[in-house]
Amino acid sequence: MPEEKAIRVLIAKPGLDGHDRGAKVIALGLRDAGFEVIYTGIRQTPQMIARAALQEDVHVVGLSCLSGAHRILFPKVVDLLRQSGLEDVLVIGGGVIPEEDVPFLEERGVQAVFTSGTLIRHIADYIRQNLPAGRQT
Amino acid sequence: MRHQKGVVTVFDPERLAEIEEGKKGWEETALRENLRRLGLSESPCQFYTPLDVRDRDYLQKEGFPGQYPYTRGSYAVPVYATPFAEVLEGGVVAPRAGQYAGYGTVEDTRDLWRAEKRRGANIAFDLPTQCGYDSDHPLAEGEVGRAGIAVDTLQDFETLYEAFDGLTTLDGMVSNFTINAPCNIILAMYFALAEKKGVSLAKLHGTPQNDILKEFVARGTYIFPPEPAMRMIRDTITYCSEYAPEMNVISICGYHMREAGASEVQAAGFTFAHAIAYIQLGVDAGLDIDQFMRRFTFLDFGGGMDFWREIARARANRRVWARIMKERFGAKNPRSWIMSGGDTIFVGPSAYTLQRPLNNLVRGVIGGVMGYLGAGFTFGGFPWDEVYGLGHSYEARQLSLDAGRILRYEAKLKQVVDPLGGSYFVEALTDEVEEEIWDVIRKVEDVGGAVEAVKSGYAQQEIARSAYKFHREIETGERVIVGVNKFTGEEELEVVPPRLVPHPYDPKKLESAAERQLARLARVKKERDQDRVDSALKAVHEAAKKEDENLIPCFMDAVKAYATVGEICDVLRDVFGEYEAPSIL
Repeated sequence: MPEEKAIRVLIAKPGLDGHDRGAKVIALGLRDAGFEVIYTGIRQTPQMIARAALQEDVHVVGLSCLSGAHRILFPKVVDLLRQSGLEDVLVIGGGVIPEEDVPFLEERGVQAVFTSGTLIRHIADYIRQNLPAGRQT
Repeated sequence: MRHQKGVVTVFDPERLAEIEEGKKGWEETALRENLRRLGLSESPCQFYTPLDVRDRDYLQKEGFPGQYPYTRGSYAVPVYATPFAEVLEGGVVAPRAGQYAGYGTVEDTRDLWRAEKRRGANIAFDLPTQCGYDSDHPLAEGEVGRAGIAVDTLQDFETLYEAFDGLTTLDGMVSNFTINAPCNIILAMYFALAEKKGVSLAKLHGTPQNDILKEFVARGTYIFPPEPAMRMIRDTITYCSEYAPEMNVISICGYHMREAGASEVQAAGFTFAHAIAYIQLGVDAGLDIDQFMRRFTFLDFGGGMDFWREIARARANRRVWARIMKERFGAKNPRSWIMSGGDTIFVGPSAYTLQRPLNNLVRGVIGGVMGYLGAGFTFGGFPWDEVYGLGHSYEARQLSLDAGRILRYEAKLKQVVDPLGGSYFVEALTDEVEEEIWDVIRKVEDVGGAVEAVKSGYAQQEIARSAYKFHREIETGERVIVGVNKFTGEEELEVVPPRLVPHPYDPKKLESAAERQLARLARVKKERDQDRVDSALKAVHEAAKKEDENLIPCFMDAVKAYATVGEICDVLRDVFGEYEAPSIL
């Protein structure tokens, strides 16, 4: 599907957590599924992630955190993206995220949370279905 | 296959010829008939006979437990049959260093440990500490006191160790530090604390993790580039051999690479490649290998659900390591030929699932069985709720403890050492896996050794590739994970047992931990003698520029002046630069 080639996804690791197996696997998987994927590597501040999203003109930002800092770092990334004028970038998250934190994250603008055991094709489907109309390529 | 000349096998060649004949007959009759009835073109099972292990010299390949080449076990009496293992399964907390822990601030952890009457410290540090940032650094936001305690200055250590006042002294306890990049700064704190308490460094016991290569490859808490990072490990080896000879200097880990997606042979091969690089540091420093190897330990190699391969891997590991030590390094003392602590066999938490999580108990138990069959150390598996993050419930811990007890006392798995030794299949597989491990080691050497493999991103790439391959197998269904990619229909029941016993650490405390730690840090910075800090940091800077110099004495002066971990690391960043991970995607 050629139109999918243009869906640009930034996979980012906010904070100091070095567990990047999930981030890398998802980056590779989405690439294989036809997306254009940029992976930031580990140890990114929310500012660095927002800047990368702006520079790379992405449609989707996927955040991964396994250290427990997601409640602080994920909303911060969302806020900075919005402040940078990236109003409609789809933000999704993953990692070791307790179920009870999911409503909080959703409220703060993380549109979906994918935890351990998620199949990449489900993430790909979710992105395709939830990309805001204005950002459809 | 013809019988190889000069090899002393346990089989009589004439008898082997009869077996070969017999096998052919079996294939043409019993097997063919069975397949026909089942409507199969080939058997779904493999079948092994003496023919598969015909050309092996028993004494060379297998031998006896506790003797070269250690295939049948590191010790004559395996760890799982020792009184030590029974104490662990008694559920007694902290027979030695105690369970790996760190909650919020040093005060929180001190109070908890004191309440538990702990007699040893097994310290989890938070990520800012592990990455050499103070609690007030922008990158520390959200991470302070999570996944472990924040240690900014020596005062934090002083407060933490108050937990043992009146219970034990530094020379009567064991301290384990899960710290890598800033390891020597933390050790300097421990040494400084000992000096202050009037305890000789020679009487200290403990283990720092200090395995930086696997941080570059898998765990991610690196700071400096590989060369200066390796230099600091050399410093640990040489300093401890002179002043703190009872301290272990390193705990070499395969576990993190396995969890990061390495296959069992990759985890083994890369771990050995790393170990070779560390040992070379001691050799190059002119130390006696049999002396300093007493202080090298292994953590473990992690594990997955491929039952037979894990068992074969554990058996092959012992043989590979013994050969490396004896043949490559020429170590003479048999104590150097075994992987101290490296023989724990289990199913790692990356095999655990969030879906139907009580199934993880079963996975853990399978790991426990593997431990007995692989003649290594074993337990009842990680608690099933590991998958929710750190902080197991008491219920889950009880179940895991009981699982281990059931394996030991009801199923009596400890009765035999290496019970699969001599199995045509397991011996053949052990040989095969051994070859694969050697192959990984050879490939690392081909790219220039472990340090080069890290710098070029080769190791990271190999592991990422394996992780992705593993995940692809789950996506395609080639690899079945119950409750994840198969047996997920609506009729299946999600079983999540309750976790109601309250944990003694009040999670509300964690919410204020960062704030409290920042206040502690600000107070220390205000009260310390800034001139003393500045001159100590300057000394670190000067010493760091001289490759030959051991930095630990300078670190000790700096921490005694209450310089922070972040300040010391900043000085080193100045001199050494920072590691930049190669882009491998």
